[in-house]
Amino acid sequence: MSEVLVALAGSPNVGKSTLFNRITGGDVHVANWPGVTLQRAEGRTEHHGVVLRIVDLPGTYSLSAQDIGERIAREFIVEEKPDVIVIVVDATSLEKSLYFAVMALELYQKAVIALNMMDAAEKRGIHIDIEGLESKLGVPVVPVSALKGIGLGVLLDRILDVAQGRMRILPLKVDYNGLEPFIHEVERLLRERGILKKYPCRWAAVRLLEGDEVLLDELSKEDPELAGKVRSIRERARIELGEDPERIAISSRYSLIDEIVSSTVTRVRLAAPTLTEKLDQLMLHPVTGPISSVLLILFTFFLIFAVNTGFPLNILFDHMGYTELAALIEEYSLSGILGSFFDWLSSAISDWLTPMGYADWLVGLISDGIIGSIGTLASFIPLLLMAYVFLGAMQDSGLFPRAAVSLDNLFRRFGLSGRAFFPAALGMGCSVAAVVSTRAMDDDRERMVTSMASPLIPCQARLLVLLALASAAFTNPLEQSALTVSVYLLSFVLYLLTSKLLNKFLFKVEYAPDLVMELPPYHRPSLRVIWWYARSNTEHFVKKAGLLIFVLGVVTWFLLNFGPTGYLSQGDISKSYAAILGNLLTPVTSLIGLPDWKYALAFEVGFVAKEGLLITFSSITGAADPVEALRSMGITPLKAVSMALAMNYYVPCLATVAALFSELRIGKYVLLTVAIEIALALLLAGTAYWVGILMGFS
Amino acid sequence: MDGNLLPLIALRPGQRGRIITMNVGRGKARRLMELGLLPGEVVEVISNSLGPVVLRVRGMTLALGRNVASRVWVEVIP
Repeated sequence: MSEVLVALAGSPNVGKSTLFNRITGGDVHVANWPGVTLQRAEGRTEHHGVVLRIVDLPGTYSLSAQDIGERIAREFIVEEKPDVIVIVVDATSLEKSLYFAVMALELYQKAVIALNMMDAAEKRGIHIDIEGLESKLGVPVVPVSALKGIGLGVLLDRILDVAQGRMRILPLKVDYNGLEPFIHEVERLLRERGILKKYPCRWAAVRLLEGDEVLLDELSKEDPELAGKVRSIRERARIELGEDPERIAISSRYSLIDEIVSSTVTRVRLAAPTLTEKLDQLMLHPVTGPISSVLLILFTFFLIFAVNTGFPLNILFDHMGYTELAALIEEYSLSGILGSFFDWLSSAISDWLTPMGYADWLVGLISDGIIGSIGTLASFIPLLLMAYVFLGAMQDSGLFPRAAVSLDNLFRRFGLSGRAFFPAALGMGCSVAAVVSTRAMDDDRERMVTSMASPLIPCQARLLVLLALASAAFTNPLEQSALTVSVYLLSFVLYLLTSKLLNKFLFKVEYAPDLVMELPPYHRPSLRVIWWYARSNTEHFVKKAGLLIFVLGVVTWFLLNFGPTGYLSQGDISKSYAAILGNLLTPVTSLIGLPDWKYALAFEVGFVAKEGLLITFSSITGAADPVEALRSMGITPLKAVSMALAMNYYVPCLATVAALFSELRIGKYVLLTVAIEIALALLLAGTAYWVGILMGFS
Repeated sequence: MDGNLLPLIALRPGQRGRIITMNVGRGKARRLMELGLLPGEVVEVISNSLGPVVLRVRGMTLALGRNVASRVWVEVIP
């Protein structure tokens, strides 16, 4: 069967991912673009017996190769020479989204324009002359609604028409006015020398005059003399025209767009105040904006907590006297269901293997070590999925950019922009998700600072440990919640302060990056898109970090079950390698008032995954309920406070360290992140403990 | 005409202005121009209080940090 390579391109917020998801039906493979952590999604579909391989290019406002996304999109088009590029534009705001289309058509002519959100445009009284637009742009234009799945068959027809050469395509020519003679001059030079041949000649000439660094570098390498000539032509143009050639070029493209829009778009009536305007009065207000942003995040996390762990509904009902209901909620929360499933699986396998005469240690390895690690990995999945569903919904609905705007003012004081709120909010779900989400930032320093600071925010796993500590050491529910809430508040403060210090001492820059961000109109999030986004990101994580978590889980099992005397069949954990390792760390844990090797061991296991702390307490004491386990270890309120602080900050979990490494790509910074956390844990827990001792607690 | 040349941060919500000049670095200028913030273009301020200035240009809503917004000079349209 013949195959056609299609590249999907367009600006952010034009519905490109919705269209991608619609066309491919979710049959998508996610990987990274070579050399960067930016995600590359590829899917396929079949139409009239032809396979269409569709690559989703990064959403960018331009193709100037100014940032990673633009560079990747441009390189893909030039190097891979796709059979067709589908340029997605927003029918409700052609004035803006045609800019990318014009840039793309100048570079590559085998294109089809997907005029998305056509239904919304018609509703707002915007009529577009499709044939007029086709003749102006020189390529087929297909009105579609990605959200509703309208027009996709025609779009695929046109894609095949262009790919198979059944369509006459006319080159788009932008009139660059005063710049034209200079463009011809550069074009002639490029032709004479036969240089930069993979680019359209006129396009290359315009870009060189605009001062495209990537292209100038390429030219300097091939022909330094010509590069010098081009630079002097550009200088001459600037002097003769009295204006920056770059500005002339951008204005000329916008003039063409204005001309196209005025001849093809008719607005029947002015829209009444839209939902967007009304909501923006709330979201962008100096007082209600930040409050509603925070409330929104809290509400969503309340939902995630409740579905994943039953918290806080279980505690609420417990205190109201409905103990059975609370237990039921906990049992049927996602982590409860997964937990019981893997417990069942583990004992079923053990029951099945034991009579077959296998050695005890092998049965233990398979049923506890391997199944247990898969269970740990599986417990991550709902947390990640939920966190990504949240991220997707916030982005897709248009709320995320507003929250960033309303909190910008607070974050500036710490050398961050409003965008930094997002990793912090996501970190309440999972630090891995938080670290990965920083790649959406366009300021490189802010991206690195926030990914290093976001693991300070307590994730769901740490919440579980925190709740167990609070319930074990305090009887008064008020004291229990006071401990939990203070750790959260402290963590947010530390997130901001750590960012400030990293800015100051590591990056030596203190000013906050400037926010320049489009605020797309609000709309009801598309469940399809959110689900696809959440699923593909989670899959990507499981593939990347999964093996690591699995291997370390098995290693921990070995350490807990083997000692210098061999396999510890009776589970006498104090003779295990793990206990020996735990004892190595006790000099450090003594500093924070926890001299017992059991705490030290729990910290070691908790590095793999923070819920490992609770699992360790349970396996050491033999009490299934971690609260009981902690009580039997003689936990006191003071020890609980010290433990809570230490546990939250002592080190990001293994999966987070792996994510940090893949995002930062600088080992030194990952080590620094770990060092900062260890220092914070010792400082905070140590201070809390020794101040407590001085005040007469024990 | 010079009398009503103001930086964007000086405009009240609802006020409109024509962009005259942008006093920002080259990379940032390119980014702003590609988003449609070109000299000659008319912008309408939607909100301007403590945080970023929110404005409409070419049918798009854009948030600009106060630092950038103080470097974009407009001629106020009465």
